[in-house]
Amino acid sequence: MAEETEALSALHVLEYNYTRSVGPVIGRFLTGLRDGELLGIKSSSGKVIFPPVEYDPETAETLIEFAPVGPAGVVTTWAWVSQPRAKHPLQKPFAFALIKPDGADTAILHAVDAGSEEAMKTGMRVRPRWRKERVGFITDIECFEPEP
Amino acid sequence: MELCGVIGIGQTKHDTARTDVSIAGLVREAALRALEDAGLTWSDIEAVVLGKAPDMFEGMMMPELYLADALGAVGKPLLRVHTAGSVGGSTAVVAAHHVQSGRFKRVLTVAYEKQSESNAMWALAPKIPFQQPIVAGAGGYFAPHIREYIRRSGAPSDIGIKVALKDRLNALKNPFAHLRMEGITLEQVAASPVLWDPIRFLECCPSSDGACAMVLASEDVATRNEPAWVLGTAVRSEPLGMAGRDEINPRAGRDCAEAVYAQAGIKDPRNDIDCVEMYVPFSWYEPMWLENLGFTEIGTGWRLTEDGVTALDGDLPVNMSGGVLSSNPIGASGMLRFAEAALQVRGRAGEHQVDGARIGLGHAYGGGSQFFAMWVVSGEKP
Repeated sequence: MAEETEALSALHVLEYNYTRSVGPVIGRFLTGLRDGELLGIKSSSGKVIFPPVEYDPETAETLIEFAPVGPAGVVTTWAWVSQPRAKHPLQKPFAFALIKPDGADTAILHAVDAGSEEAMKTGMRVRPRWRKERVGFITDIECFEPEP
Repeated sequence: MELCGVIGIGQTKHDTARTDVSIAGLVREAALRALEDAGLTWSDIEAVVLGKAPDMFEGMMMPELYLADALGAVGKPLLRVHTAGSVGGSTAVVAAHHVQSGRFKRVLTVAYEKQSESNAMWALAPKIPFQQPIVAGAGGYFAPHIREYIRRSGAPSDIGIKVALKDRLNALKNPFAHLRMEGITLEQVAASPVLWDPIRFLECCPSSDGACAMVLASEDVATRNEPAWVLGTAVRSEPLGMAGRDEINPRAGRDCAEAVYAQAGIKDPRNDIDCVEMYVPFSWYEPMWLENLGFTEIGTGWRLTEDGVTALDGDLPVNMSGGVLSSNPIGASGMLRFAEAALQVRGRAGEHQVDGARIGLGHAYGGGSQFFAMWVVSGEKP
């Protein structure tokens, strides 16, 4: 048996600041959020991809034709978060959901503030709750909420 | 082994910060130019090989997944290569092997770095507990090696300044180069501040955003496109901290050169090779690598620089494009060396073309002078 030895241990915090240039497509999407509108983009086959992508996933073509969508849409699937953590978008029970805005063929992941798990249903209609101060980021949508 | 030819070459305009494009847009720009040069479209490409420096630089984990759409790689084999600063070179080697194996006829290979979004300096210098720190970035690491080279060789102290001036003048002939310093003089380089003794500011590479791409093809496809034929490829590495390791003249570099020359049938590199594009991030690495690559006796590399042998109109032009000293998108820097060698032997290097270049060497190194990648290309079919 080897003698028991002391294990070396030290705190190591590794932290860097990174930046991102978002390019013309994601840039326009984010600017749209600041202006309170949702923008998708038309794919080569005519589908509206939301959030927009720079290049067609099927043909690799450069995509340029933006298409306004929603802002209201349909929940395509969801998971209830009964005990939100500190970094979650809402500090009360909520749903993470895939939301397909009207006119879009794909869905985005966001939070739905439905009040209770019983109020959540696949197929339910929701609309964005916009922040008053918007900066051009995905969090400009505070969350989605059920349409009245 | 099947023959492999370079039929498409593309690169971005390299710059401090390409804020006009995303990372996807950056690689796309180089890839589209390579495809256009090859006369191909996305659907012609059978596999994609991507290289970049460590993920921690931009803080984007496995960027090959995000970049699949931009590179037309959806549903195709897509391989990422990791070999630190030499990665652009070893990525091209892996792509060449894809063709030489006979498995693929048209392969797209791409390498990039977007240093404006990254933190390469500090990503190279984390002070990890219980490990010897690398000191601040690459310059701090390599300066003692350069001092040791000067001590061993007895080189005059102005050799590095001469290399820097030559490469900066060459860059003026390269429209894609990041640093284009009109009217640069020896006096300006000499007067620039010393950052890490003996390395002056103007003897250093910049931080660049940029990408490079090539299309490699099998013999039947390549023959139609005036290719650069790949005569040899080699990759070698050695540990960073091995006892008795010679960082000034690393064995991995010597072995890599020996292997690539043997494949390419090169007996006397000084006479058989017409031009060299090598990885020189700090000026003094030109004479150091000239020796490591066997172009001259140990201790005499600096004489080739001093005598003008490595100038664009010299007997053995080195870094015709302006080199890493003029553009340094780290992950792409190795591939840019390989691509320049291919451009030269295709006779398509424009203003920085070496007259009659037939055989070119592309060289890349990375880590602490421990990862090497090389290829030899020719304008004539072997």
